[in-house]
Amino acid sequence: MIAAPAPGATWQHRHVLDVDVFSAADIDLVMRTADEMKEILARPIPKVPALRGTSVTIIFWEASTRTRVSFEVAAKNLSADVVNIAAGTSSVVKGESLVDTIRTVEALGADMIVMRHSVSGAPYLAAEVFGGPVLNGGDGWHGHPTQALLDLYTMRARLGDVAGRKVVILGDILHSRVARSNIWTLTAMGADLWLCGPTTLLRGFDAWATRWADGRAAPGHGRFTVTSDIDAALRDAEVVMALRLQRERMDAGLLPSLREYSARFGLTRERLAAARPDALVMHPGPMNEGVEIAADVAVLDRSVILDQVANGVAVRMALLYLLSGGHPEGMSGG
Amino acid sequence: MAEMRVGDTVERLDVERAWLVDPVAGREGPGEISVRGGRLESVSWLKGAAAKGVGPEGVLVLPGLLDIHVHLREPGNEDAETIATGLAAAAHGGFTSVAAMPNTTPAADDPAVFARVRAAAESSGSPVELLLHGAVTAGRAGERLAALGELADAGAVGFSDDGAPVKTPVLMRNALLYLGAIGLPVFEHAEDLGLTANAEGHEGVVSAILGLKGWPVAGEEAAVARDLALLAGVLPDAPGARLHVTHVSTAPALELVRRAKAAGLPVTCDVTPHHLAFTDEWLAGARRWSWEAVAGDGTVRDPWADRALVGRPFDTATKVNPPLRSADHAAAVLAALLDGTADAVATDHAPHTDVDKHVEFGIAANGISGVETALSVLLAAVAAGKLPLLRAVKALTTGPASVLGARPGRRGAPRGLVVGAAADLVVVDAGATWTVTAETLASRGKNSPLLGRELPGRVLLTVADGRLAYRDGES
Ligand SMILES: [Zn+2]
Repeated sequence: MIAAPAPGATWQHRHVLDVDVFSAADIDLVMRTADEMKEILARPIPKVPALRGTSVTIIFWEASTRTRVSFEVAAKNLSADVVNIAAGTSSVVKGESLVDTIRTVEALGADMIVMRHSVSGAPYLAAEVFGGPVLNGGDGWHGHPTQALLDLYTMRARLGDVAGRKVVILGDILHSRVARSNIWTLTAMGADLWLCGPTTLLRGFDAWATRWADGRAAPGHGRFTVTSDIDAALRDAEVVMALRLQRERMDAGLLPSLREYSARFGLTRERLAAARPDALVMHPGPMNEGVEIAADVAVLDRSVILDQVANGVAVRMALLYLLSGGHPEGMSGG
Repeated sequence: MAEMRVGDTVERLDVERAWLVDPVAGREGPGEISVRGGRLESVSWLKGAAAKGVGPEGVLVLPGLLDIHVHLREPGNEDAETIATGLAAAAHGGFTSVAAMPNTTPAADDPAVFARVRAAAESSGSPVELLLHGAVTAGRAGERLAALGELADAGAVGFSDDGAPVKTPVLMRNALLYLGAIGLPVFEHAEDLGLTANAEGHEGVVSAILGLKGWPVAGEEAAVARDLALLAGVLPDAPGARLHVTHVSTAPALELVRRAKAAGLPVTCDVTPHHLAFTDEWLAGARRWSWEAVAGDGTVRDPWADRALVGRPFDTATKVNPPLRSADHAAAVLAALLDGTADAVATDHAPHTDVDKHVEFGIAANGISGVETALSVLLAAVAAGKLPLLRAVKALTTGPASVLGARPGRRGAPRGLVVGAAADLVVVDAGATWTVTAETLASRGKNSPLLGRELPGRVLLTVADGRLAYRDGES
């Protein structure tokens, strides 16, 4: 039932494991396909038969209702058969191995797998074992490609092209798969990307930004900017994305206290005043209001946090569709 | 030789017009050898017209190699390796002596474990010499000293809690003192565990990109500094104390050893082929040699920008402890080998089963199955002009022998081409290649990041103690 790729279709990827292998043209194709999906979502019955007869198995080894439901809605909108498996984190350490789980799911008829896992790189192992496409719904600290693409989609919907625009990601960069995937997409699209947070949560990123000389970066002028100076980061920013801060960071000795974190790095109205007046406020959720983002900031008109949720469904539909062999024009009149 | 089997005495062997390397004499050149009745009957160096056309890129004759750091997994994890398969793998790699680490189950903290593995070696029929390290602490738990004297009496060549450092400084100090009187070295796996909890890869750009928990360079440097301070402190009471730091992987730790040696401290160290030739970018899927990952000005190249990521990321065959380092540290490892700071190359051969390796990167066991690829990896460095052949051979023969010092082993310390002695040598064709596959590896551990790769340096024949240890099926 999966349509064969049309002649001239440019989608070359068997899996979506991370966005580091995506060219700007690949990303554009995802954006265009997501536009088609947005149109479908605006219909009275937002459903097309593109993935009818395709079994999409969603396996989350790490709990996340939001992302799981987003994938589920996306797959169902495309008429896929959806199987949900809550694997639970305990089985990562003992019990059935990931390889066994994937083989079992394949034997039960899965055509595509969407997975979330707490160990960086786990989807690459799944993709090695599984015969069909694997879509990474977040792995460890490593990657969250659908989040980065929906973030980009959301920025483009409001700002148009992100090239040259100052985008700030604020908070716990070190432990953030969202930040890592956003680095690839935003630098690929030419944004002026800044990462800002306490130095203990930025370790290694300045080296990533500046060390490798590849012709694009002169010494001291990296592909993106890393700083602990929040005022410098927010000055004239056009997009500010705050990341969730977890309490474990205090236990690990990375930060003194939540209070100190929110005083120094929390996104408040006062701080946001340094940004452009129409700067977008984003958050991948779930939010700790009053910690990394003030409650009155999250509800500002220019907060697009709910757009991110809605766009997430369209982007995930686009990726499921492209992985199934579809092409964007094929959806027209769908 | 066609009918010979492993373990049979090599009655008659003539290698003509080959490139001989004698690290004891410090000599290499065209020559010929003959073996009669298991003895090296003659070594002749060719000159003039007779030597014409014989070069180091062809067939080499080297003394049998010595690996002072292998894990053979028996007893306790025979699915990963047995003494028999480990010795067969060693012979395939050109090694005629290997020293097994004591981190078996149970640990070799008591002579009874030695007796058991020696019996397994005997029944394997392999002529490869099995040397044994004892544990420093009981059960490698870092709380009480193991049976050091009894293990020494039973023939231990060194002591180590490898897999982990000697956990507590006071136990390390006491082990250095106690073994100083016996004259045997402590083989230290240098790692400050307080800095490396749950670490998955070298802390650097690649770990930042891949989202792996970092193993910082300071974790090795701090541990080596601790051990050197303890060593200096015990020398007045135990002038015979000796510290050997194994698998040193970072520039600062190597610099500490360099300076300690210059100051006269009795310290030695080894480096592994993988820390010399592989880098952390292999975790992201690169497979170029370390010297290909550095730009002309010494800066580390970007494998993403270079489109050098040819394999899949997060291959657990690249997960090892200490981790594969960035190319600048690999260059420091090479420099340490060149200037003698590193006395030896040791493989840290660490075979694992699929059960422990075909899992998520973060929970996979550490280790590389490396005893069969070590010589080839060094020959690749030689071919690239990064390492003189004689230095490479010394690092696999006289270097590790000097680390162990005088010992009562059946073949003693010097490892040259000694006429009249039992033949102990490896014949390797530097110009021929072989492909690393699950089938070509004799080890049960198929956990090599070189799987699928064609390597230079095909071992044709390994003779240990006058007996056949390995012969290439196609030669
Ligand atoms: Zn070790």
